[in-house]
Amino acid sequence: MAIAKAERLMNLALCLLGTRRPLSKRELRESIEAYLEAGTDDSFNRMFERDKDDLRELGLVIETVENLDGEVGYLARRDSNRLPAITLDAEEAAALGLAAKVWQQARLAGAASGALQKLRAAGMPEAQDPLDGHHSALEPRIPVHETAFEPLMLACRDRRPVVFDYRKANAARPETRHVEPWTLECWRGHWYLAGWDRGRGAERVFRLSRITGKVRSRAGSFTAEVPDVVTVRETVESWAGETATRSALIKLRQGSGYPLRARATAVRDLGDGWDELAVPYGHGLDAWLVELGPEVVVLEPADLRADVVDRLRAVAKD
Amino acid sequence: MATNAIDQTRRMLSLVTYLRERPGAHVSDVARAFGITEDELISDLDVLPMCGTSFRGGDLLDIDTDGDRIWWRNPDASGSSTAEPLRLAADEATALLVAARAVATLPGLREGDRQALLRATAKLEAAAGEAAGASSRLSVIFEAEGGVFADVDRAIAERRRLWLRYYSPARDELTEREVDPIRLFAVGHTYMEAWCRQSEARRTFRLDRVAEIRLLDEPSVPPEIELRDLSEGLVQPSADDPEVVVEVGPGGRWVAEYYPHDSAEELPDGGLRITLRTPEPASLRRLALRLGRDGHIVSPPELVVSAREAAREALAAYESAGQA
Repeated sequence: MAIAKAERLMNLALCLLGTRRPLSKRELRESIEAYLEAGTDDSFNRMFERDKDDLRELGLVIETVENLDGEVGYLARRDSNRLPAITLDAEEAAALGLAAKVWQQARLAGAASGALQKLRAAGMPEAQDPLDGHHSALEPRIPVHETAFEPLMLACRDRRPVVFDYRKANAARPETRHVEPWTLECWRGHWYLAGWDRGRGAERVFRLSRITGKVRSRAGSFTAEVPDVVTVRETVESWAGETATRSALIKLRQGSGYPLRARATAVRDLGDGWDELAVPYGHGLDAWLVELGPEVVVLEPADLRADVVDRLRAVAKD
Repeated sequence: MATNAIDQTRRMLSLVTYLRERPGAHVSDVARAFGITEDELISDLDVLPMCGTSFRGGDLLDIDTDGDRIWWRNPDASGSSTAEPLRLAADEATALLVAARAVATLPGLREGDRQALLRATAKLEAAAGEAAGASSRLSVIFEAEGGVFADVDRAIAERRRLWLRYYSPARDELTEREVDPIRLFAVGHTYMEAWCRQSEARRTFRLDRVAEIRLLDEPSVPPEIELRDLSEGLVQPSADDPEVVVEVGPGGRWVAEYYPHDSAEELPDGGLRITLRTPEPASLRRLALRLGRDGHIVSPPELVVSAREAAREALAAYESAGQA
């Protein structure tokens, strides 16, 4: 039976961490059983390169050193791989334990538990029973349903340009976008990417659920400067109509349309079972109003009234 | 938790550091400290004796277990390099820091917990050093309705019943009910899972739809029920629910993003034919009205009629005013 990958990786890590002088590929191959069984030089080389990358993903700093004979050797020095001293008390440990549970994405969930295990090995105390009623009863969860998430997270981390097909909200067909990805942000349970759109020559925000197909990496580095502050949320809020610019006057049947009432800046009882409300008018309000059907009548402004009537007519003649 | 080779390697490296300090550690204690099952720990302990710095020289970890306690017979001979805990990887620092920052912003979090989290975050940033850098490229904002949240949190801690005035968008009405809170969770929005005393059933309430809330003196006594698995999505229509078919043009594709559905077939014009199930098809009248010319309901026919009637009635109000 082939030797399990975890065993091979563990052996390579122990060899590299245990040595004081660089070890050549030849020496490593002779010390690790799985490499001896690897067969040809080619398959060993491929396996070795992949394993080194995997250990680096795990945080290991592996140095490549050339000796006087021009032979390449590898080692993971103690001082560059040591976790600096960190002392956490039981409360802090419990708080981190709660935070580590929020990820519903395999890679980040694995990384979060891995981090806790390293801290545990470094002496972090165990959390007390979380059910003793002392801590908040809240269970926060971060959903990640979008397949584009992981490749984009890695591309943001490594600052690698990407290309993907993206279908805008109202577009019939997806379009190929070349993007320098800056940050990912989750708001109201959905993930968004902010970055430099090379084709548009401007900053853009993308909703991950609208990316169709694969996210592919591109060679080369970023061409546009990454801003210090990236404002994803403000952009998305304006899409969602949260940033009101004007005010609208509507008639609303009493007892209905609670969310509009909660947002209203003024309410007047008209006495006939109807109220008159002033509500903030931003992008998307017409869609909200039309949902309420006969429970609402738009008084002003005229363009909002016309939009609502137009939408109603489309449904009335279906 | 599924174990892949990367996660297992990461765990085993920490495990050897941890076990070195604790000769004769109990399997159950170690599994709990590492947040893994005892079976996962045993499978790690099966691999470790094959690991070392030289399999030929016999320089392997002599770690052994009788299923109850764990013994390491040569902690100095081999793997002495693993005496010190390893630095955090970029992904590890990101996973923990992003989560900690997000949780710390929850308005309903108790102050003691928030302070502990902020202290831990600062220590972690310092210990992670460079690896913490990439964590600024990921962020999460939780929406939590502060006042309502605090009342629900208190009701859970004190095991008290709650009275709510709650908005149901499906019916566009506020209803009053008494509920026994079970738990609070945040997935995008913040929700309360509770046992509703009116319907004698489990209900999930979105906190931003709570118009009014009051703690009652009656004790909260929800029946013993299994908690919902949050990873499966919040809306889980049942197979018995009636089917609704909606056809949308390109401008209505968002429906597939917001409504859990059974299928979404591509249409030649760039639109979709979406089949979904809901316990109350009438509640989708709102959707039909909102879609306007971007789509329409195909079935059931009652829903098609009710949307059309609602639109006509609404238009009548404008026409009677002579301004449509």
